Amino acid sequence: MKTVMLLAMAAAVGAAQTPRTNPLAGNPKAAEEGRVAFRGSCSLCHGIKGEGGRGPDLTIGNYSVGSTDGDLYGVISEGAAGTEMPGFAARYESDDIWRLVSYLRSISGSGTSRVTGNVSNGEQLFWTKGQCGQCHLVNGRGKRMGPDLSQVGRTRSAKYLRESLVNPGLDLTPGYQMITVVTKDGKKIVGAQRSYDDFSVQLMDASENYYSFQKSDVASIKQEYKSLMPDTYGKLFSEAELNDVVAYMTTLRGTRR
Amino acid sequence: MNRALLILLALAGAVTAAEITPERLLQAQSDPNTWLMYSKNYSGWRYSELKQINTTNVRRLAPAWQFQTGVTGKFETSPLVFDGMMYVTGPTNHAYALDLATGRQIWHYSKPLPPGVSICCGQVNRGFAALGNKLFKLNLEATLVAMDAKTGAVLWETQIDDIKKGYSGTVAPLVVKNKVILGVAGAEYGIRGFIDAYDADTGKRAWRFWTVAGPDDQGGASWGGDSWQRGGGSIWVTGTYDPETNLTYWGTGNPGPDWNGDQRPGDNLYTTSVVALDVDTGKLKWHFQNTPHDVHDWDSISDPIPIDSVINGQKVKAIVQANRNGYFYALDRASGRFLYAKPYTKVTWSDGIDAKGRPILIPGQDPTADGNKSCPAVGGGHNWQATTFNVQTGWYYFTTTEGCQTYYKNHQEFREGLLYTGSTGSPLPLEPTSGAVIAMDPGNGAIKWKFELVSPPPSGLVSTAGGLVFAGTREGHFMALDAKTGKVLWKYQTGGIVIAPPITYALNGRQYVAVAAGSTMLTFALPE
Repeated sequence: MKTVMLLAMAAAVGAAQTPRTNPLAGNPKAAEEGRVAFRGSCSLCHGIKGEGGRGPDLTIGNYSVGSTDGDLYGVISEGAAGTEMPGFAARYESDDIWRLVSYLRSISGSGTSRVTGNVSNGEQLFWTKGQCGQCHLVNGRGKRMGPDLSQVGRTRSAKYLRESLVNPGLDLTPGYQMITVVTKDGKKIVGAQRSYDDFSVQLMDASENYYSFQKSDVASIKQEYKSLMPDTYGKLFSEAELNDVVAYMTTLRGTRR
Repeated sequence: MNRALLILLALAGAVTAAEITPERLLQAQSDPNTWLMYSKNYSGWRYSELKQINTTNVRRLAPAWQFQTGVTGKFETSPLVFDGMMYVTGPTNHAYALDLATGRQIWHYSKPLPPGVSICCGQVNRGFAALGNKLFKLNLEATLVAMDAKTGAVLWETQIDDIKKGYSGTVAPLVVKNKVILGVAGAEYGIRGFIDAYDADTGKRAWRFWTVAGPDDQGGASWGGDSWQRGGGSIWVTGTYDPETNLTYWGTGNPGPDWNGDQRPGDNLYTTSVVALDVDTGKLKWHFQNTPHDVHDWDSISDPIPIDSVINGQKVKAIVQANRNGYFYALDRASGRFLYAKPYTKVTWSDGIDAKGRPILIPGQDPTADGNKSCPAVGGGHNWQATTFNVQTGWYYFTTTEGCQTYYKNHQEFREGLLYTGSTGSPLPLEPTSGAVIAMDPGNGAIKWKFELVSPPPSGLVSTAGGLVFAGTREGHFMALDAKTGKVLWKYQTGGIVIAPPITYALNGRQYVAVAAGSTMLTFALPE
């Protein structure tokens, strides 16, 4: 019955008496118990091993909510305002939340491949040779067919970013499926999905034009779970250049709300 | 003019109010104006004789009224309609009586959710049951409430079991004779599930059937160690009833922990089964376990539907069910004898069902620590969404999710009131699931047509003698399909996900179709 686990619970417990450091720190059993709880309650958004997904990558070890045990306890307990992260205070007792903190500490840093590139060189490559701004937006600069990358360094690990550059089809940001429409007069329109249902499709093309089509009005509509991003960056960029672009992207952390 | 005649004339302007008697419930199918129980009749057919709205005119179907609850959450109710009123349950312990002609609210019931209620899958409710002048509803905190249908006032409220043990309630009860029959949820929190019957007058419990056999019960040997104590077996969907056998049929949910079978060796009776209980005593007459030792969370919770069919050339009084494990089953409803099973979607975990009804397992399909792909996905196949048997076509209609999923498992210590699932399932990122509405010949499991949907279908169905099947989609469409061909004859964008099953009824000679979408109850009729 749990196709979708609705875990949003009212955050009821104040954090006034919560210790600032994890009383279970250094206890390997606590981390293991936290791992089990994580799979049940957190993995839907944060990935089965904390590698990120709809929610941020937790293996980087760099958290937008703060870095102390108390900060992590607070966000698990109360949720993160302005995000989809719910609070779990009503579901978990204090020790359970500390077990989750223990698990997060145990995976912290595991997903960060060392970023060796040059950030400013990477920024240059991103906007010029890579032409990434033709489809992506960063802090208001660029175009809007592809996902906004303004805080991608916060939500994805360097390893994931590198993989995505070389092989963009490995994972697809939800809601950015590739849509191909062929009209009855043979015109072909390709773009990124904005909405798709049994009777119609709405999409944006690379020139940022919106289209809306009824299935009954066109020759065909094809939805593909593949990225519109070229898969040629592995050839276009040298290894060093790829490292530079990844280094730049890890600095894109948005503004803290 | 005499006084009696005057009163009669005065009554003519009012809707006739007749008490809901057990006899009236037995005859529910023969009154197309009303909708007296979860699935229209005791057989769970969700089929109406109404045909004012039909294949030739449904394209003109238009909104009549809408009622916005303002309550967020999944709106899964199947409304009841009688005495000029529509009775609607909402999420999070809300309920309403609405004037059937206008949609205006007559009363509103709500009860704050106490802290500490563990609910797997949304703070939902699937509807009322009715008897006499009372309505019966489960509250999330595992209570059964009896209300005065005229006012919504609580007449009695019975605690079914302890929320601290993980029990909760979402199902629409089934009223048979003077009993209110229901089941509990909580298999994701280590409950030992059951089906209960309560006296409709007093709220006193009449019987209990444990969906997880204890050590001294028949079937108790199917649980290793003390795993039965937290063996799961939720009840999510209302059962059916056959007056001829005097049996009530219920589908039971998964064993717990869901994805780690190592912690509960054995077949785990009576989880993921259809159970047939004597309605007077709650005694088990027969059981059929679809998925022995389930490790994929394939609840057997689809409506178990009594129909008379011709199977293998013989007339049979059958129970049919589109099971979440990907197979469509037919059983003899008097004995539980297995008749046949046939896959209706992609199945990779088993190589068919043997002559006794037991799945022939394919090795390597169970959840693992690093994840294992298997089909169907965790939601099925067909899940809890209400189905319909159309008397006119003789076909059975249900929705299905098409696709696969990665299944993980973990050892998990049980702690009371905490999630106890033994890991999880996760979607395959580049292989999204889709959906379909299926029309099936229940005599042989042949798919007559399949209307494909871009997303897994969340809604239930209703079908009519007007040759129509109504269905809703995740993206908010409510639509009428031709029962014979599956062709879309009408659609309407409701603006909210359609999770609930539709119903149909008539008022003053006009047929309506009603369905909950988003947080709104919508009704439709042909223009006057």
